[in-house]
Amino acid sequence: MTQDRASDIAPSTRLYERIRLDSLTGLLPLVLLLSVWQLIGDPESPFFPAPSSWWPALFTLGQGDKIIPAILDTVRTFGLGLLGATILGVALGLSIGVSRTFGRAVGPTFEFARALPPAAIVPVATLLLGFDETMKIVVVVLAALWPILLNTSSGVQELNPVLLDTARSLRLSTTRTLFGVLLPSVMPAIVLGVRVATPIALVITLLVEYLTAVNGVGALVGEAQRTFQPARVYALIAIAGLLSLVVNSGVRFVENAVQRRRVGDQ
Amino acid sequence: MLVLVAIAGIWEVLVRFSIADVQFLPAPSEIAAAAQGEIFGGELVGRLIHTVGVTALGWGIASVIGVGLGLLLGLSPTAYRYSMTSFEVTRAIPPITFVPAALLIFGFSLKMELVLVIYGGIWPVLINTIGGVRSIAPELRDVGTMLRLSTPETIRKIVLPAAMPSVVVGLRLGLSLCLVLAVVAEMVGNPEGLGNGLIRARQALQPALMFVYVIAAGLLGVALNAGLRATARAFLPGNALKDVFAS
Repeated sequence: MTQDRASDIAPSTRLYERIRLDSLTGLLPLVLLLSVWQLIGDPESPFFPAPSSWWPALFTLGQGDKIIPAILDTVRTFGLGLLGATILGVALGLSIGVSRTFGRAVGPTFEFARALPPAAIVPVATLLLGFDETMKIVVVVLAALWPILLNTSSGVQELNPVLLDTARSLRLSTTRTLFGVLLPSVMPAIVLGVRVATPIALVITLLVEYLTAVNGVGALVGEAQRTFQPARVYALIAIAGLLSLVVNSGVRFVENAVQRRRVGDQ
Repeated sequence: MLVLVAIAGIWEVLVRFSIADVQFLPAPSEIAAAAQGEIFGGELVGRLIHTVGVTALGWGIASVIGVGLGLLLGLSPTAYRYSMTSFEVTRAIPPITFVPAALLIFGFSLKMELVLVIYGGIWPVLINTIGGVRSIAPELRDVGTMLRLSTPETIRKIVLPAAMPSVVVGLRLGLSLCLVLAVVAEMVGNPEGLGNGLIRARQALQPALMFVYVIAAGLLGVALNAGLRATARAFLPGNALKDVFAS
């Protein structure tokens, strides 16, 4: 039942579920591409340096010790941003779901804010907040907020009204209704929203870092590009890809764990 | 809508009487004035046309490639088995990180912007087409076999209509992604369009003008989404749409 509802909310993620990394045979084209690239590629090429030159390029010119701090910076911004987006998204989503008036009042504003390309927020954020960690996190929150907010609010709206009526007839306090009834029942929707928001948060983290050159992997890629070190650019792209694979499978793992616990409860 | 007006009003009052003393925060009236100047006689319209053009063109090409490739991977188990993991791995790399690579390869050009927009736009369409095609009920395919439809006929009459809701989801996600990538490419690479206008205003320390471009970009996002919704409504039965625009 919960499964059904969650899938109604985001059809694209339901489809994604079916497409899994199920076989290593599927890696064939990528391996082929990289091999051909390696064979015919020139390590000095300004456009397509051979893959074998990528890894050493990370450590040339004493830049090797920048990599780990940059990854940690990116992960921190991403984590705090996603956390902020979750708290804000759930709070706003619950308010919109519970109060129709509030939902109608903020509707157009949110519709606009959601359509705003996150990249366009960056210059404004740097102007108002400066070039620092807070600015990065604010931009990530503003971009990753929407899936969580939307899933939470539609989760609340699709709840069985009897549930809230029961809470009222039991005269539960608002706090207890919120934490005892409302939050647990929309939890699957929230988790789904967080999962959709996770890749967005990571992409936006890299985007902000690239555009503002404030710390992190994104900033390093930008620096490598501006100083014409193509091999280093490709190496950092590969690192960003690995980071994103790790984060995505981590989220899927957490989601499965949450769902299994819920099934156990029922 | 009223709330928007209220926010603008409070914002105006706060800035006007410098209660909220945030450096560089322009009052809505200043933004409106800047917008007026930029629309009549400024560069806004030209930049808007550029961004819309690149986004639409890139999105169109990306959609054709995405649907084509998606049909192939969705219909042929062999193609799926021997390439899907590669696509999954490549897809995991955030398209944003390809901006520097594209800049190195194509320089500060329209080509760079277009390539980025196309690249980013392919993924959602591809993934959703594959998903849609693979989740078609086997009975439907059997009907095609029974009626002895040729492969192109099966695709046109059975596979595409059945997968359409999912494809449209991909198209919609792709469109917003294309806009984002176009703006990013304009901010750092191709010196045209809304993204460049934004950066110019930022560098010239004209916050009001910058807000004009931010608002223009947001309105463009809303307009593109609404346009797609209207188009989809014209081509899709009502029930399918509920799913498509739910999230």
